Formats: sequence, C-alpha cells, structure tokens
Amino acid sequence: MADAQRLFEEYKQAASEAGPPDPVPFVSQVSGTERQALIALIDAYLEQAPRQEFDAAAFRDSKAAPLAESVQRSLAGAGGLWPALLPRLRNQARIRRADLVAELAARLGAQGQREKVGDYYHQMEQGRLPASGVSDTVLDALGAIVGYGRDALRKAGELPAAGAPSVQGGEVFARIGGPAPLDPDMAFSMAEMPDTEEWDEVDRLFRGDG
Amino acid sequence: MAAFEELPESRLSPLGDDDLIAYMRGAREARAHDAIKPALAILVYGYWDTLLARARLKLPPSEAEDVAAEAVISAIASAFDGKSVGEFRAWLHTILSRRIADYLEARKRKPKVTELASEHAGEDEVWGDEPATPFEGEALFARECLDRSYDELSELHRRVIDLHVLGPHAATAAAELLGDGMTEANVNQIASRFQKRFRQLLDEGDTSG
Repeated sequence: MADAQRLFEEYKQAASEAGPPDPVPFVSQVSGTERQALIALIDAYLEQAPRQEFDAAAFRDSKAAPLAESVQRSLAGAGGLWPALLPRLRNQARIRRADLVAELAARLGAQGQREKVGDYYHQMEQGRLPASGVSDTVLDALGAIVGYGRDALRKAGELPAAGAPSVQGGEVFARIGGPAPLDPDMAFSMAEMPDTEEWDEVDRLFRGDG
Repeated sequence: MAAFEELPESRLSPLGDDDLIAYMRGAREARAHDAIKPALAILVYGYWDTLLARARLKLPPSEAEDVAAEAVISAIASAFDGKSVGEFRAWLHTILSRRIADYLEARKRKPKVTELASEHAGEDEVWGDEPATPFEGEALFARECLDRSYDELSELHRRVIDLHVLGPHAATAAAELLGDGMTEANVNQIASRFQKRFRQLLDEGDTSG
C-alpha cells in the first residue's frame, strides 16, 4: 500500500494547507487495489474533517456561494427548500423544464392542461406554492421523473414557515397545521389563481382541497 | 420567548454547527431573513469542499456538485425540521453517502443517454458532461475494509487512528494529545497494524464476519 499511503499523506498535506483539494489528480496516479485503498482512505479522512474556517473572499469565489444564496432565498419563501432543490434535481435528471412539465402532466393524466401544470411547477420552483397543498400524487409523479423520494420532496418543501411559533433553546419547532402565511410574492401568484369553487382536478392536485 | 439578536460574522464564525443552526432558525422565526445569510455562508462554505471532494471520489464533476448540493439542502431541511439529527457534520456525510449510493444505483438501473454539452454550445437547458474522469463505482468495498479495520480496534486505538492516520496530526503530536503514557513509537505501531489489517482485508476480498 506504499503508493496509496504516500499519496494519502500528500493529499492530507495539501488539504491542511488550502482545504480539501479535488482528489481525482491523486487517485488517478494509482490503479487497482492501490487506487481503491487510496479512495477509501481519502473518503474516511474527508468524513472526519472539521468545518473549514470561514474565508469571505474564498466563499464569494466558490460554488458554495450560489448554493447558500439559493438556500437562503428558499428559507424566506413558502415552498421550503424547493427553490434550492427542484432546479438541481431537474438538472441532475438532465430534463428540460418543458419536458419535465410534459411528463408530469402526462403522469397526472392532465396532458391537455400542460400549461397549467407548468405554471404550478414554476411556482414550486419559485417557492410560491405552499407545500402543504401539493398532493402526494404530484410528489410521487415528480419524484419518479427526477429520481427523488416523495417523502424527501415533501420534507424539503414543508419546512415550518418563516415566523412559525417555536420552542427556544434548540428544541423542536412546532409544525404548522394550516396553510403557511402568505408572503408578498406568493400573494401575487395566488391572486392569479382561480377561486376555490372554480378549481379543477389540477388545481386540487397542486393546492389541496382548499 | 427571547428576542432574536442579529450577530455579525465575527461572532458567528466561532459558533459550532448546532449553534449556527439554532441561530438561523431563530432568524427565520423572527423573519430576519438577511440575518440567515452569514450563518448559512459559514456553514455551507465550511463543508462544501469536503463534500464535493467526497462526491468527486465516486462521481463525475457535474454530478458530484449536484449530489453534494443536494446533501447540503437535505441536511439543512432536516435541521430546520426540528427533528434531532445528532451531530450535523455526521448527518451531512450520512446523507451524502446515501445520495451517492442512490445515484449509483439509479445509474445502474437506467443508463443515461445524454449528448455532450459541446454539441450544444450556447443552447440553454442542454446538459452533458465531457468525460473528464474515470467513473468510480466500485470503491465501496475498500471503504468497508477500512471501516472494519477501524471497528476492530479498541477505543484508545481508534483515537490514534482519528488523530494520526485519518487526522492531521504527526505521531508525536498525536501521542502528546492522547497522553497517558502514549509514545510516538506506540502511535506508529498502532497505525502500522491498522494499515496492515486494512491491506489484508482488501487483499482477501472478504468483509464478512
């Protein structure tokens, strides 16, 4: 394991100087068992690595910045972390938004209402649709398209709404029973929606039973 | 209920993960959304390179980024959900490991047919990775061997491995940190035995028992 051990020490050294580097250049120097050993050692090392000290300049230049920003924006909205998660899942599944909407509409039996399904999906990505109203049917269909579990999707979307009552001292936050309070952005999008009595099946699938 | 107090980055940086999360939850509860930004930046930046590097060990570049980002989002969702997830770092890595495993499994089931991004330069919403690195889908066995070698050790010897083999400390420093008669020679011997056992398991191709 001489090569793996040597490269592992080099990796640790590099990580201690400037944070964990891309391991691929190290791993690509060996093959076979040495390679597998090196991957395991680096993996275990990274798993134990403490949180890196914050560096504002490095953060601004890193891909952590847009991720943190999208999560922060999501936390301010009504759709939990969907705005941060859904576009990434769509990208990862390598599906164009239009294709995803078409497939989602088909899976919901609403091929003729693709535009409406698209509007609702857009609101999900924008954090403007309360997750509590989105049915399991929609989440099952969406999850099947992007390769993500329904429960995990719901969990990400159903964070306790901003401003929800909580217990202090790191205790569990109270879950919200009713609809999340509207924020200004969301109020705008909801104003464009039909009244409850005019709802069709698609409305009900994305907005619950009212 | 105590009023939320916004803190500057300099006071947030020294906080541990759990305190940062509690602070962000407090900020969100108080609708002080801008106050979340620095705490989230500290938390995400603090683990991003590590998560990305772990993902890169097994996945191609763009998949690694998406999977690492997804792990961050899921971990934060769990943290905000209020359910106890134990140590945030361990939870984050557990989620990442699951996501990588899910990704590899899904890939086995459904090979993706994608076009290379360069075939669509300038077009929106067309994805594809140039094949830059070899795919690492068979590395789990070696990690099992490493974990088994570690699990076989006593608590004290595990601390040696944590500090010296998988940690940043030289043998001398690790011995000093452990105290209680531990010497540099002891540390080196424990590390050497651990590495030999790891190699033995790897060579045997056996993780049973």
